[in-house]
Amino acid sequence: MTNYILALLLGAAFGFSLNKAGLTKYHKIVNVFRFTDLAVLKFMMSGLVVSMIGLYALKEFGVIKFPSVPATYIVGNLVGGLIFGVGMALTGY
Amino acid sequence: MNAVIAYIKKDEWSPYIAGGLLGVVGVLAVALSNSLLGASGAFENLAGMIGKVIAPDLFNNMYFNFIMKPEITWQVILLVGVFFGGMFGAFTSNTLKIRWAPDKQWTQIFGNNRWTRWDIAFFGAIVLEIGAGIAGGCTSGLAISGGMLLAPAAYIFIAGMFASGIVTALIVYRGKY
Repeated sequence: MTNYILALLLGAAFGFSLNKAGLTKYHKIVNVFRFTDLAVLKFMMSGLVVSMIGLYALKEFGVIKFPSVPATYIVGNLVGGLIFGVGMALTGY
Repeated sequence: MNAVIAYIKKDEWSPYIAGGLLGVVGVLAVALSNSLLGASGAFENLAGMIGKVIAPDLFNNMYFNFIMKPEITWQVILLVGVFFGGMFGAFTSNTLKIRWAPDKQWTQIFGNNRWTRWDIAFFGAIVLEIGAGIAGGCTSGLAISGGMLLAPAAYIFIAGMFASGIVTALIVYRGKY
């Protein structure tokens, strides 16, 4: 139960950050593919850097163990990514 | 303190600050729940739940029995949170409203018809979800959550996503690119 409440709160913070970065808007998502507005990249990359530092620090101190990492199967990841990009650029989600 | 409140009320933050918040959420998700932030998987869980009721034979396969279990997972609850969190974000900046008409930039390319928007959104979302299913995650679940654990899959996915996204945008926008 606690875990579900956590999920709800973390999800809310996630949605809040998406909204504030403007990624809930069609033009923000599409314009990253047109190189006219790189907000998506800036958002993703700063998120990645912050969480990487936090996670690797906590792992180093022995506070956490990493959950199972998403599986790597090169063709699947790449083909999936290629299909995904089409949908993303069309819908702007 | 007032400056902080004023900043929260702003419609659009610097993406670096919003991204920093996302990073903190990503760390907390692992530290507190040992889970990754994912969105696309939740739709598959829900689709599985519906499918098990309507067409149990069709959905009685490896994928829906073991990989994407038809149940209310942590990710499904997360998605509910995302919905309300996004709404709360719009509420704080006073931009929360129900809107039927498409985005301004959309109308310049596809015209004013709202059903065009809905049709393309529906079709595009199917394409998007299939892609996420094959790759094993979407922008949040694979690219960001996998990327922060330095999973190679995430970076291969990001490369594919941008390659085809740019090409699709080129085709859609043609001369206006």
